Amino acid sequence: MSADALLEVRDLVMHFPVRGGVLNRVQRRVHAVNGVSFDVRRGEVLGVVGESGCGKSTLGKCLIRLLSPTAGSIRYEGTDLAALGHGDLMPFRKKMQMVFQDPYSSLNPRMTVREAVREVALFHGVVSRDAADAYVSELIQKVGLRADAADKFPHEFSGGQRQRIGIARALACKPDLLVADEPVSALDVSIQAQVLNLLMDLKDELGLTVVFVSHDLKVIEHFCDRVLVMYLGNVVEELDCERLHADARHPYTRALLGANPINDPADRRPLTVLEGDVPSPFTLPPGCAFAGRCPVVEPRCRAQRPPLELKTCGHAVACLLEPGA
Amino acid sequence: MRERSRKFLSGRGMRKLRRDRMAMAALAVIGVYLALALLVLLGVPSEDAVQERVAPDNTPGFFARGTAERRLDSAQFHLDSIQRSVRSSDPAKAIAEHRLGTLQLVQVSPEELESRLTEAWRAFDAASALEDDIESPAATARLDELDTAIDALYVQPTGFAAATRFAQLALGTDRQGRSILLRAVYSAKVAVQIGVVSALIAVLIGTLLGAAAGYFGGWVDHLVVWLYSTFSSIPWIVLLMVIATVCRGDAFAPLVERMPLLPVYAAFCLSFWISPCRVVRGEVMKLKELEYVQAAAAVGFGRMRILLRHVIPNTAHLAFINFSLLFIGAIKAEVILSFLGLGVQGTPSWGVMINHAKAEVLNGFFWQIGTATGFMLVLVLAFNVLSDALQDAFDPKHV
Repeated sequence: MSADALLEVRDLVMHFPVRGGVLNRVQRRVHAVNGVSFDVRRGEVLGVVGESGCGKSTLGKCLIRLLSPTAGSIRYEGTDLAALGHGDLMPFRKKMQMVFQDPYSSLNPRMTVREAVREVALFHGVVSRDAADAYVSELIQKVGLRADAADKFPHEFSGGQRQRIGIARALACKPDLLVADEPVSALDVSIQAQVLNLLMDLKDELGLTVVFVSHDLKVIEHFCDRVLVMYLGNVVEELDCERLHADARHPYTRALLGANPINDPADRRPLTVLEGDVPSPFTLPPGCAFAGRCPVVEPRCRAQRPPLELKTCGHAVACLLEPGA
Repeated sequence: MRERSRKFLSGRGMRKLRRDRMAMAALAVIGVYLALALLVLLGVPSEDAVQERVAPDNTPGFFARGTAERRLDSAQFHLDSIQRSVRSSDPAKAIAEHRLGTLQLVQVSPEELESRLTEAWRAFDAASALEDDIESPAATARLDELDTAIDALYVQPTGFAAATRFAQLALGTDRQGRSILLRAVYSAKVAVQIGVVSALIAVLIGTLLGAAAGYFGGWVDHLVVWLYSTFSSIPWIVLLMVIATVCRGDAFAPLVERMPLLPVYAAFCLSFWISPCRVVRGEVMKLKELEYVQAAAAVGFGRMRILLRHVIPNTAHLAFINFSLLFIGAIKAEVILSFLGLGVQGTPSWGVMINHAKAEVLNGFFWQIGTATGFMLVLVLAFNVLSDALQDAFDPKHV
């Protein structure tokens, strides 16, 4: 693949077994991620968008190996993370960190900001014990908090401030890759912008690569270079953000874009509202996962699963109705 | 660390607790008990002092003289014991060494003492002669004379000795003439000791097992759940009795000899760890899904480190509440076990006192059972009030 790929994900599958019954056997599986392939290029911001339950958070957690994928590979600069055990993963843990969604549960209530950030930095040997305090203060100021915030406990902060602490903790071990799992969706809109701008500044300053998971296309457009659109555990479209409005071709992507509020009433277009529900993640439909709700569905869609095919340069779509490149 | 404790003491929970007058009163009561326990640990009253005879059997408290029959019995006890000393092979030595608590015999010649004793016997006979009509004013006058005659046989204590005697007799004596108040105070130490040690160990075992079960899941969870389901399916009093009996067996004899409370500790720790274990397991199952635990895993911390540093500290409030519940649980269970004769042996305890009081109650003597239950009641009540207040003050959902 391309030489500047930091992370190469191939055919990633994540199934969660559901156990039950007297013998505690696996009764069925949740098909959270079903064979996803993409690259994350060094220095870019890759957005992952989709509705609730489409597997985007699971994908993010697989990338930093919080979950062990059922199948497939995740190559970080050539090393397959999916195959590594706890000890072998350690050098990669330092390079990849995550910012979590809920600022109210992502910080240990019994640790001060200093303890939480310091712990990470010391564990990965980023600073010496003597220099740790200065390092923590610097980092806290870098994420826009006052230096005296260091000795406070999480409950003394607002949601936006907590998210800043979460970012500081993720950056404490100087990672290259940051997976941001809906980092702003629990925040007020005014605070969302502040945290997004902070992430953008930090990305430029520290040269981070960011995988940005969100259900909000507006946020993705604002922040990302490329976007993956996911539906029921599959990537249905992959394209550059600036071409999103003009070139989006998958019916699901178009429906998502259509659902976005329009700023100017003059631009308002008739809305295509998706009918029906997402299929059950326990039993996947044989054909296209989106067939049941697609406004332009054809009979062959229900029988054949569409592969994600490159249509033009940097634009891949998984739809049988789309002509090839 | 100082920063932390300052924050804790000025925190919302502590403020709420300090505003709660009942809780503060309960805390003061518990403080008094702890002070008593500390005093006993320092040797006041000493182990010998609580086993020592200080007065005739079943003397009522507050220096009451009791019924006429009891006055006669008590006089007879004094006269008999003095007579034994006077008639012994070496009267001078026996008289010099004669003691009843802080009382000692008047330092006069044996002949003089003998004559005072004869006089007292005469008064005794005069009073006993009126036995058929013992409640009459004439008989009461005779009894008063008898008391005066007996008082003349002893040096009346002054100063510290008088205060000691007051403390010894304030709540009467038991069937062996031992001070009930001193025994009850000594028992406070035994109770606090049993409460603290067994609650602490039980909470520790319960927290560790519960946290391991909740966090690791799988076979660890199955094992722990199986263990506590099995333990909790046995009625706890039977379990206590079995464990206490086993510990009294020969196998543990040398250990028990050195630590007489060991069977009690063993029985309590083995049956009390269940409830903290259960709550902690549930809490940990909830906590381990929280994002800060995942964040710690993403950093690469080992599972033990996450468990010990990120999960267990957040169950501290449960340990707190469970400790206060188990503390009184242990004290009450100690009383029950000792009452059944399986608990504390060799030293006084409230349960032992209540057990001994069984026969006295039938004779209408309530000082011992009243004192032991009163001491226990006040402590248990104070702890209940406090743990209620703690729960209110530290429950974040309670405004």
